[in-house]
Amino acid sequence: MSFGRFVLKRSLQGLGVVWGVVTVVFALRFVTPGSAINAVAPLDASQETRQAIAAELGLDQPLYVQYGQYIFDLLRGDMGFSYIRGQEVVGLVFARLPATVELALAASVVAIALSIPLGVLSATRRNQPVDYGATLFSLGGISTPNFWLGIMLILVFAVEFDVFNTSGRGVDVGDVAVSIVGSDPFVGTLLAWLAYITLPAIALGTYFMALITRLTRSGMLDELGKGYVQAARAKGLPNTLVRYKHALRNTLIPVITVLGLQLGTLIGGAVITEAVFSWPGLGTLVIDSINRRDWPVLQGSLIVIGTSFVLVNVLVDAVYAYLDPQVVND
Amino acid sequence: MRSDNDDRINRRTMLTYAGTAAAVGLAGCSGNGGDGSDGSDGSDGDDGTDGSDGSDGSDGDDGGDEAFELGVTMGQMDSGLDPQDHAETNTEIIVGQVYEGLLDRDKEGGIIEGLATDWERTEDGSVRFVLRDTSFHNGDPVTSEDVRFSIRRIVDDDVGIASPQKNDLGSVSEVVAGDGEVTVSFEGFNPIAFQLFATNGEIVQQSWIEENDGNFINRNTNGTGPFVVTEYDSGNEVAYEPNDDYWGGDVPVDALTMSASSESSTRVNRLLAEETDIVTNVPPQEVSRVESSDVAGINSVPSARIIFLQMRYDVEPFSSQQFRQAMNHAVDVESIIENVLNGFGNITGQPTLEGHVGHNPDIEPYPYDPEEAERLVDESGHAGVEITLQTPIGRYLGDVEIAQAAANQIDSLSNVSCSLEQREFSSLVQDITTGNIEDKPHFNLLGWGNGEFDGSQTITPLMTTEGALTILENEELDQLMVDAESTEDPDERVEILQEANQLAHDLAPWVFLHQQFSVYGVSSDISWEPRADEFIDPDTATQQ
Repeated sequence: MSFGRFVLKRSLQGLGVVWGVVTVVFALRFVTPGSAINAVAPLDASQETRQAIAAELGLDQPLYVQYGQYIFDLLRGDMGFSYIRGQEVVGLVFARLPATVELALAASVVAIALSIPLGVLSATRRNQPVDYGATLFSLGGISTPNFWLGIMLILVFAVEFDVFNTSGRGVDVGDVAVSIVGSDPFVGTLLAWLAYITLPAIALGTYFMALITRLTRSGMLDELGKGYVQAARAKGLPNTLVRYKHALRNTLIPVITVLGLQLGTLIGGAVITEAVFSWPGLGTLVIDSINRRDWPVLQGSLIVIGTSFVLVNVLVDAVYAYLDPQVVND
Repeated sequence: MRSDNDDRINRRTMLTYAGTAAAVGLAGCSGNGGDGSDGSDGSDGDDGTDGSDGSDGSDGDDGGDEAFELGVTMGQMDSGLDPQDHAETNTEIIVGQVYEGLLDRDKEGGIIEGLATDWERTEDGSVRFVLRDTSFHNGDPVTSEDVRFSIRRIVDDDVGIASPQKNDLGSVSEVVAGDGEVTVSFEGFNPIAFQLFATNGEIVQQSWIEENDGNFINRNTNGTGPFVVTEYDSGNEVAYEPNDDYWGGDVPVDALTMSASSESSTRVNRLLAEETDIVTNVPPQEVSRVESSDVAGINSVPSARIIFLQMRYDVEPFSSQQFRQAMNHAVDVESIIENVLNGFGNITGQPTLEGHVGHNPDIEPYPYDPEEAERLVDESGHAGVEITLQTPIGRYLGDVEIAQAAANQIDSLSNVSCSLEQREFSSLVQDITTGNIEDKPHFNLLGWGNGEFDGSQTITPLMTTEGALTILENEELDQLMVDAESTEDPDERVEILQEANQLAHDLAPWVFLHQQFSVYGVSSDISWEPRADEFIDPDTATQQ
């Protein structure tokens, strides 16, 4: 199989997954108790009023008609209208996507910046206090629920010490970029951006950071025990060069794979963190849509999240296939 | 109207020059500008009497130099900006800054003027409103045709939308637009027409609505109220500026921001970090944290919402009046208010709250008396029965904890076993709102907000045979409510409603619990008093 066909095959499989997401989520609305009508109408609305609202929302149509219409509209790029807000779903979802991606990337940066040095340090100083400390740290990071961590971070750094903002988004990364060439002072804008994003990025990235630390440590230990490392040392290469030029580079290959996959998880998994920090991303939109049974918005959000995940996976697969042609044949 | 971009640049610039992270979230609470005193309100038109003009009063000056920027943080944002296409409090708070009805309410719930300066009942039982000479935010004058269109858009499915507020204005049969006045007729006599119009029926501009689609109307505004929307970030934040041409005079707030945090701890943290000025629904366990801070305090007010346990009359053991009364004796409501709600509640013994039309002051709540409860259970013939109380999760202040306490107290009776089932509100409400009483839960916790401040608006939907949420069928109570709805004499009507409340107390279809309080956290930098109807009126806030 050629590389092109491999990528095409993976892409089609990804498309199938997205269709599966659409269908499963659509089916869920009929097995989940509760109705959007109850979120729209007051509790004492007459049955006549409820029926009129159902008709207006198209909920009085047979299931197959609703599904067919939804798929047809979706293929034209139309995700429909929110049952609750009366607004176009496309606008609602894509207005939230940048905030979620920004938070996911920031969390990844926080995680990578700390986890890889910590993992390397832990591996190169095995069974020393630094290693024990890093192990304890990563264990704590994996075990700590991010909603609890988020609340604690807010209490300490926003309320008590007033260093960061408690919640919201404020300045976005685009404003920071514009300030480089614009009239607004760059440093001030950057600080304002950091004031909002730092705490949610730490809360979201901590689990991720702990995971990568463990992965880097075990990978590094594995590489340091291999023959080529001993050969390099035998040749008289300095330890620093052996560790960071040879061993670390090989360690990072599986780490980067996990990073790519985890980015997709972060986009879909920021729901709790976004709620705690009132971060205006897809996560808060998903929660709100579930609570109000706003199925078009929920479906739109999950389609975007699912597609992001599939895209990242296809991209990782493609990069893997490019780096290791054996994957294509396997 | 300012563009979104203008506001964004201003905010960013403010943030940028703040220089430090701590300054980013400032909500403009500093400064010592003078208060702008409001004009006095028109006299009430309660209980079917006519209303009269109120004097405009003098406008207060701004006083200080610093801008008064006010932030309000609620639990949930709006469901779109169409004022006639929603039925929830949070949306009403957000659109209610922009849109107004013909009548309004003061902080205690009394009826005051809105877009109508005068209102009266005509000889044939219709109601006539004399319109104020004012304009929409786009500069076009408010006309009687706009008012007629607005009312019809709510009550008539053929005019634009199927409004969820359809039942909120009563059975409107005709709306006649005259010269500077509008007359509304009903199917039969409507004794609470003015109460309904004081709570519902916001006015939109006909041409603006007809020229735009739903997506636009739900994202933009064109009202007559004290604020103009400058930036709308759906589900996240709404920014306003004062309406310089507001008929009520100068608005003391220079910029208003409405946002939401679903997590109550986040709302409180925002308040304590001085990032916002008013937060809603402070949970009892957070009250002491707010009160002990230097930057904020608690403002609470008894709301128009009553919390109770519904018992379905047609299933055993709740078919027994003695058993239902026993349940009322079994629950220690005062203890629940003190220990679960931190004192934020008033005990009730009837469906109509104190201060509402028809409240019967002679009715005492059922006393907590477990022995009497056990005796009544024995007499009812249901000793040894097992029952389950269903409760929504997180819908009402402390709902799960209240239900747990009530279920435990009932379970502690020697002859009744009571368990608790927690249900997501959307799921529970699906059963509660079904048209058939047979499909409803046997025993559940529920809350009911009575925005009209009239007892009929609770008893009719929740206790009469034809009520949408009823769990009771009683001919005597049905007849009393029919009489109340057709009685033109307000005093006589009050007597009928008081009789109905006495009957409801005796029939005990509910375990009467408490009147919920609205509990707000308010920055020490501002002065603001909450309202009884859960609406937030930032235009009455002033800098300290």
